[in-house]
Amino acid sequence: LAISPALLLSQMNCAILSVGNQQGGCMKEKTDVRQGTLALMALKTLDVLGPLHGYGIARRIEQISGDLLAVNQGTLYPVLLKLEQEGAIASEWGASENNRKARFYRLTREGRKQLQAETRDWEQTAAIINRFFRAKAEDLR
Amino acid sequence: MRALRRFLHRLAATAMGHRDEERLRDEVEEHLALQTSENLRAGLSPVEARRQAALKFGAVETMKESYRDQRGLPFIETLARDTRHALRGLRNAPVFTITAILTLALGIGATTAIFTLAHAVLLKSLPVSNPSQLYRLGANPRCCMQSRFSQNKEFSIVSYELYKHFRDNTNGFEELAAFQAGQTLLGVRRAQGSSAAESYLGEFVSGNYFAMFGVSAYAGRALTTADDRPGAPLTAVMSYRLWQQKYGLDLSVIGGEFNVNQIPFTIIGVAPPGFYGDTLRNTPPEFFLPLAAAPLVQNKPLVLQEASTHWLDLIGRVRSDAAPASIQTQMQVELQQWLRSHIGDMSANDRAVLSQQTLYLRPGGAGITTMRTQYERWLEILMMVSGFILLIVCANVANLMLVRGTERRRQTSLSMALGARPARLVRQALTESLVLSLLGGAAGVAVAFAGTRLILHFAFQSAAASPISASPSPPILLFALAISLFTGIIFGIAPAWMTMRADPIEALRGVDRSTRQAGSLPRKTLVILQAAFSLVLLTASGLLTESLRNLQNQDFGFEQNGRMVVKVDPALAGYKARQLEGLYGRVHDSLASIPGVSSVAWCLYSPLSGDNWGGDIFLEGRPAPGPMDDNEAWFDWASAGYFDTVGHPIVKGRPISEQDIATSRNVALISETFARKFFKGEDPIGKRFGTTAKAAGKYEVVGVAKDARYLTRNLQQPLDAFVILAESPSVSMRDIVVRMQPGAKLSEAQVRYTLAGIDPDLPIVRMQSLSEQVAGNFNQPRLIAQLTSLFGILALVLASIGIYGVTAYNAGSRTNEIGVRMALGADRGDILALILRGALILISFGLLLGVPLTLATARFLGSQLYGIKQYDPMILGAAILTLGSSALIAALIPALRASSILPLQALRAD
Repeated sequence: LAISPALLLSQMNCAILSVGNQQGGCMKEKTDVRQGTLALMALKTLDVLGPLHGYGIARRIEQISGDLLAVNQGTLYPVLLKLEQEGAIASEWGASENNRKARFYRLTREGRKQLQAETRDWEQTAAIINRFFRAKAEDLR
Repeated sequence: MRALRRFLHRLAATAMGHRDEERLRDEVEEHLALQTSENLRAGLSPVEARRQAALKFGAVETMKESYRDQRGLPFIETLARDTRHALRGLRNAPVFTITAILTLALGIGATTAIFTLAHAVLLKSLPVSNPSQLYRLGANPRCCMQSRFSQNKEFSIVSYELYKHFRDNTNGFEELAAFQAGQTLLGVRRAQGSSAAESYLGEFVSGNYFAMFGVSAYAGRALTTADDRPGAPLTAVMSYRLWQQKYGLDLSVIGGEFNVNQIPFTIIGVAPPGFYGDTLRNTPPEFFLPLAAAPLVQNKPLVLQEASTHWLDLIGRVRSDAAPASIQTQMQVELQQWLRSHIGDMSANDRAVLSQQTLYLRPGGAGITTMRTQYERWLEILMMVSGFILLIVCANVANLMLVRGTERRRQTSLSMALGARPARLVRQALTESLVLSLLGGAAGVAVAFAGTRLILHFAFQSAAASPISASPSPPILLFALAISLFTGIIFGIAPAWMTMRADPIEALRGVDRSTRQAGSLPRKTLVILQAAFSLVLLTASGLLTESLRNLQNQDFGFEQNGRMVVKVDPALAGYKARQLEGLYGRVHDSLASIPGVSSVAWCLYSPLSGDNWGGDIFLEGRPAPGPMDDNEAWFDWASAGYFDTVGHPIVKGRPISEQDIATSRNVALISETFARKFFKGEDPIGKRFGTTAKAAGKYEVVGVAKDARYLTRNLQQPLDAFVILAESPSVSMRDIVVRMQPGAKLSEAQVRYTLAGIDPDLPIVRMQSLSEQVAGNFNQPRLIAQLTSLFGILALVLASIGIYGVTAYNAGSRTNEIGVRMALGADRGDILALILRGALILISFGLLLGVPLTLATARFLGSQLYGIKQYDPMILGAAILTLGSSALIAALIPALRASSILPLQALRAD
């Protein structure tokens, strides 16, 4: 994912603030962005790794984003529910690596389409923002 | 698409409840277990590993909440929860709930009942196909026949010739139908069988009438143009109601032979059940006859040929590609063409106003709106009255809710202290109001159903025939729902607002020792409004009742007591002009020989019987009146002895004598108004007048009768010029007035038996006492006055309860203060004054607000009042006094109770 870390962070700040604190000033406005970002990460994770349980998805997101993204793992579950309701992912019970009952999520065909579309969108947005930054710098000179 | 899919999922989850809470718990458990084992592998102690895992996961409950919100539809779930909560709360306060629901049912029921009537009379379309395509001739309905080439204001009824002119030349109509303006009484007897003739109302319609409405017969077939040709076999269509009630849906009626006014007709079909013709009225026609049969049945051979005999209404179905406005323009041109083609047949007066003759085409989906014109004002008054009642009811329930809200202040404060958001509490309060108002609305629909039936029964005695249905229909139910929601919001806003303003600390602190009541302002405002609205209703009911009393107790100019009116119609039994005199004599003699009868007389229309006959007056030896001159008078015909029998005094000259009749002398008795209007101070006896310029000397005035009220068309207005002519063979009289000796009774059976002895085919149309006939004219004003009075009393009671409630509450919450005051030396009088002062201020404000409102309402009533000024100071004063005294009593009770409390007891309270 070729996203500028600064941009990601500025949006994630809200996510960090808003969890557990309902009075965060930016919560209302940026919920969609946060959910959308997290949803996109979950979709991509499932696309790359195949069927996975919630913990697995959370770990993967953590690993990739490193220290930059300090999101509460719990917030992932409402996002997964929403994706399931929309038909982008499906879930079923299975056995986890330590042989316990776990809920496994997998990408549906529709989810794949959605992922492609949203990836395109993201890349486009990022490209435009990048270009915009560069153009501004040239103008200043 | 995705959003819809998600919505359906959430809807399903909402409906299914919380079944998959389990799944989330398992997932969270598993997640934490995996994270813990990972942490263990990283070398943390078991306790620390678990702690770190939980920290990383974040607040479980918050996540669960957000998960739940995502899963179902929180709005609906909250609504369901609030509704359950509200219902539980209402169940726990049965007295409050029942009071509120009953009050609401009354207000919503009254409004809905009036709306049912208004909907039927003012808004509903005819039960025909695509009523919006129909257009009728005439902006205002006109009855029933006019015989000249000009019509006042607009040309709205037409002759047969003019109808054909419009029908054949106007191409914007798919179909243009004509039908009688008014109805005809028919004497009908089934040809086979020996049953006596009965009188029914019929209407003459053009052959394309049913085709124009797009209505087909329920059984048999409808009339067609082929039935409406001269010389065609005589056919008629029967109403479903008559077919069902009289003939029990007997199929042999169709194709059966019936004698209509002694002329054989074939019934070819039955109209569909809901169809009541072209006009909403409480006496819909039972027979539809073709226009071609009119000359024969009405015994008017020339009715279809006379170009100036206008007796038909027109309704047409407009082509989808035609504009009504251009059709109207075209018809205006056609009217002028037609009038010019008859310029030779016109009187000078008609010629003078020829170019001003015009016509209007109006949407005709509701048919001929006679009833609308007649009842519009009354319905508006009733709607206004019920609207005020609804407002008072809202204020009352709002007050109850406020008391309830105040009692629950601690609970609300506690909720807020525990973190409930104000918006959530307001929503809960509003949900409770809406639940209450919807319950009230449901009860209100039942009240409305019963109320409408009752009103219909009182308004039209023959409600069975009325096409107005009392049963709730979808638009009525929708209206009731809307009104319920509206009231729920109206009376719920104040308590909800108070909830939001509740200060948790203030309420939790406990005993409230302040002398000023926070939050009592809305309650006081409501009581002031109630008092103001009550004053409006009390004054309105006073004005209407007084006006009714004046109407009923006015000097009618004739005697009502001890007189019976028997209505027959010799034409229905096929009597011809030359046979009439014999019939009159035989009936007179047989009835007069019944014991107890003191005299008998015939007339065309007995006083206030509902019919009237108007025409122009031309005086002999005077220039004919100009086109703009008012030379209108109203006519009646009577036999010798009539004035004595009906108790109509003669001021000057003599009554109609036997000799006048025997010698066919055209004598006339004019009313005092007639004498003033046409003879202006001259002695009218011996003067002559006529109804046309050519025959200006036809009638000789032999007497002046006292002004009497005969006409029902303008009961509220001054008397018109009236003249009673001696009977003539050209007019078939219908009303028999029988004067009884004091104390004697005349039974209908006796009259029936006597008349059957003369002619079994002569049907009795109606028989009642003259006083009943007179009273029947005041059914509507009486109903309005009674309903308004009922509402007025209700308003008074509700307002008094409101004053009582506020005063009692104030007194109760000031118990401590009263104790302190008494301990410091105040006596009972001081306390009484203290409490009463508050109540009196409320009442005064109410009256202050009510008086201008009342004056505005009185202005609105103005035109409906008789013999009374709209700003009658006596009635306004009486209303103020009534409201003031009952409010004072309502305030006095709690004030007395407060002042009789012992100081020590007061100080200890709470």
